[in-house]
Amino acid sequence: MNEGWEATGWKEAGRRLRRRAWLGGCVLLVSAIVGCGAPPREVPATTASATRVVSLVPAATEMLYAIGAGPDVVAVSSFDRFPAEVADLPRVGALIDPDFERILSLRPTLVVVYESQDDLIARLDRARIPVFHYRHAVTGALAQVTDTMRQLGDALDRTAGAETAAATIERELDDVRRAVGARTRPLTALVFGREPGELRGIYASGGVGFLHELLETAGGQDAFADIPRESVQVSTEMLLARRPDVLIELRTSAGEAGTVDAERAVWNRLSALPAVRDRRVHVLTDPSLSIPGPRIAQAARTLFSLMHE
Amino acid sequence: MFLRAADLTFGYTRRGPSRTAIAPDLVVRDVSLAVPHAAIVGLLGPNGSGKTTLLKLLSGGLRPLSGTVHLDGQRVETMPRRLLARRVAVVAQETHTAFDYTVLEMVLMGRYAWLGAFEVEGRGDHEAARDALEATGTAHLANRLFPTLSGGEKQRVVIASALAQLDDRATTAPGYDGSKRALLILDEPTASLDLRYQLEVIALVSHLHARRGVTIVLSTHDLRVVRALCDSVVLLREGRVLAAGPTATTLSPALIAALYTVDEALVAPLLG
Amino acid sequence: MARTLTQRMVVVAGLVSMALAVCLAPLIGSTTLSLTRAFDRTIPFADNLDAQIFFLARLPRVLAAAMVGGTLAAAGTVFQALLQNPLATPYTLGVSAGASLGAMIVITIGATLPLVGVTGASLAGATLAVLVVYALAQARHRGLSTTVLLLAGVTLNACFSALILFVQYLGDAMQTFRAIRWLMGSLDVAGYGPLVAAFPFIAIAFLAFAWLARPLDLLTLGADAAASRGVDVTQTQRVAFFSASLATGAAVSVAGPIGFIGIIVPHLVRLVVGASHRIVLPAATCFGATFLVLCDTVARTAMAPLELPVGIITAMIGGPFFLWLLVRAR
Repeated sequence: MNEGWEATGWKEAGRRLRRRAWLGGCVLLVSAIVGCGAPPREVPATTASATRVVSLVPAATEMLYAIGAGPDVVAVSSFDRFPAEVADLPRVGALIDPDFERILSLRPTLVVVYESQDDLIARLDRARIPVFHYRHAVTGALAQVTDTMRQLGDALDRTAGAETAAATIERELDDVRRAVGARTRPLTALVFGREPGELRGIYASGGVGFLHELLETAGGQDAFADIPRESVQVSTEMLLARRPDVLIELRTSAGEAGTVDAERAVWNRLSALPAVRDRRVHVLTDPSLSIPGPRIAQAARTLFSLMHE
Repeated sequence: MFLRAADLTFGYTRRGPSRTAIAPDLVVRDVSLAVPHAAIVGLLGPNGSGKTTLLKLLSGGLRPLSGTVHLDGQRVETMPRRLLARRVAVVAQETHTAFDYTVLEMVLMGRYAWLGAFEVEGRGDHEAARDALEATGTAHLANRLFPTLSGGEKQRVVIASALAQLDDRATTAPGYDGSKRALLILDEPTASLDLRYQLEVIALVSHLHARRGVTIVLSTHDLRVVRALCDSVVLLREGRVLAAGPTATTLSPALIAALYTVDEALVAPLLG
Repeated sequence: MARTLTQRMVVVAGLVSMALAVCLAPLIGSTTLSLTRAFDRTIPFADNLDAQIFFLARLPRVLAAAMVGGTLAAAGTVFQALLQNPLATPYTLGVSAGASLGAMIVITIGATLPLVGVTGASLAGATLAVLVVYALAQARHRGLSTTVLLLAGVTLNACFSALILFVQYLGDAMQTFRAIRWLMGSLDVAGYGPLVAAFPFIAIAFLAFAWLARPLDLLTLGADAAASRGVDVTQTQRVAFFSASLATGAAVSVAGPIGFIGIIVPHLVRLVVGASHRIVLPAATCFGATFLVLCDTVARTAMAPLELPVGIITAMIGGPFFLWLLVRAR
């Protein structure tokens, strides 16, 4: 905490430097235009389609592929891993570091951005590039997924494909809900962050948000449902006191796959937890579980099978 | 001879841009002097003449580039720091503390060299401190905070601390040879004091010398201090000894005029 | 002497308050539990939920608070004496920035290095910072220059802060959030492992502190004055620097860089008992421990079931107090 002022100092210096560099750049640019005129820029021909979509939102990228707009996608965010086709696409930054120049140079006809990216949105508006605002929903997060898919369909003239894909997901979610029926809902803690090898820095799903809704849809009772936050830092005491019957931990970051058994064993220290006693601690590495995209039905089925089979 | 310095040369080394040592500007050059036991010797010289540096060399605080200092026949440089501190105490021009110590705590700090690593001050140490406070007339200040004292009071307390440091009573510390012969070094003890405190400190030093028989080397600008206190005097100019000898003969108008590069006629009245 | 009596009473009061805090704080928590069940030896520990809440969640946490609080307060005292600067903190010389950088690296990209925990990495980072600062302070001088120490420490703090920002920038939103949360400090150690790991370092440091108490007093008079009274100044500075850094590194690895304890507790103690390190060090240790136990009790109960970062509590109490200390008429 005491590093605060030094950090601001550096930041201030950086800002000054950047401003100076920017000014210098302007001067150069102006002289270039005056001197020889702007050089004509080649449009990169990565796809034959006239529609060119850039997505800064991994969940939205998945949706685009699900509604059949995959061939239109020309660039994705630095965090996109799915579907496999995105591996070869250019990366244009993400939430906090979108690369405006690269986005422009790709001549997109639609850019999918987080609605909180005000600066980027303003600049894209100035460049008269259509923008799709992706909304991160805290309540109604599952419904938001299929809604967003339909809106993307409308925006890209793929209404039919979007409707089919969205309806399928809704049907599959309903199937899961039906399968849950009147089964007793096990009290479940859905953990998605923890220091490796230790029971510290534990974060779990609270009573709102996509993971919470997924858990309840799949027939679980959220152990922290009374705390109206998407992410709750859980102390050992609170975890013990809530006595969850099932504990599901998501370790979805790259590189965590190899440590599943060791990390599951870490929980054995809390042997009085019903979940530990009954061997109902599950560690999952499937990244689809942490993305509110078209794979939510599959995620719900996975959670259902862990809690009810 | 109790304290003998031979051919002392010293300069503060600076590093050049390429990390090579540049030949130091010499601050003390080929200084030799001898101080008999129980004498009071004054170092007199203008600002920058090397008085403080010479005192640091004599007390073992600095290592000479060449030359030696012997205390009671022992080479100061090779004496363990603690054993040296039991024999030689230094009163600096000014003493500051980063925190608020009481006067008693300041004086007890003088007992550091007599105590083992985890040892707590015993009865003997407290007696030494009380005696030192009484000898310097500061017993009534014992519980005052040092930074709240006046300049003269501070100087007397630091002298008390030095006295406690040289007090060899009731020691069980190993390696002590039982010698009572100690050296007190005072660096411009009256420099920052007004007339009243100057006189007080002069009287105190003279009193201590008479009662305790401690050997004293002091530096000063003040001719009155030299005349009032010193048996002999060393005149230091640009790091070299200009003259040395008994106060009565050495403190002549001609030598003082040469020492400070002033007109002899101006100096004569000061020497009475 | 009246003063010595007050001093002794303050140390005794510190010991009593620390003992009370450590005994009473585990009884308070965000949940209610049955003490009779917690201490019922007929129920096997593996099945005794109350016992697990008491012995796995609360007790180690209170002990961690006492250990970290006492250590930071004592280390702060030593740094202030070493640098002869009342505004020094355990974090002034970059130890915590190094520890934080280590922790940030593991939290952000550490998923690929499963063998190194956050604790180990922060200890490694602290060690790196200590060695760099020491090498710099040693480079141009025989012995340690406190001015160079201070400048090297402050500069290293700035460099490490930049690196911390850089590492956080590499992470995704969740990792960055966890990293920032780590910087606020947490004492939820969930067992005795981190305490046992840190204890040897802290024990060695406190042994050194006990030895340092007297020479530190003399060091605050200045290097020359200390040397002429028989203190081996370079050795004392070295021992002070390494032991206080060791203690700080261990404390930060347990709980993150919890602020303000290392500065307000020593000053508060000095106001009451004076400057002598033989009194200030033990008193600061006891009151630092008590203070952090109290702050953490507030942190885990004030907004239950949500938990406040303990660093926010210490800063909210410590900041205003420190300002008062600065403007206080002398």
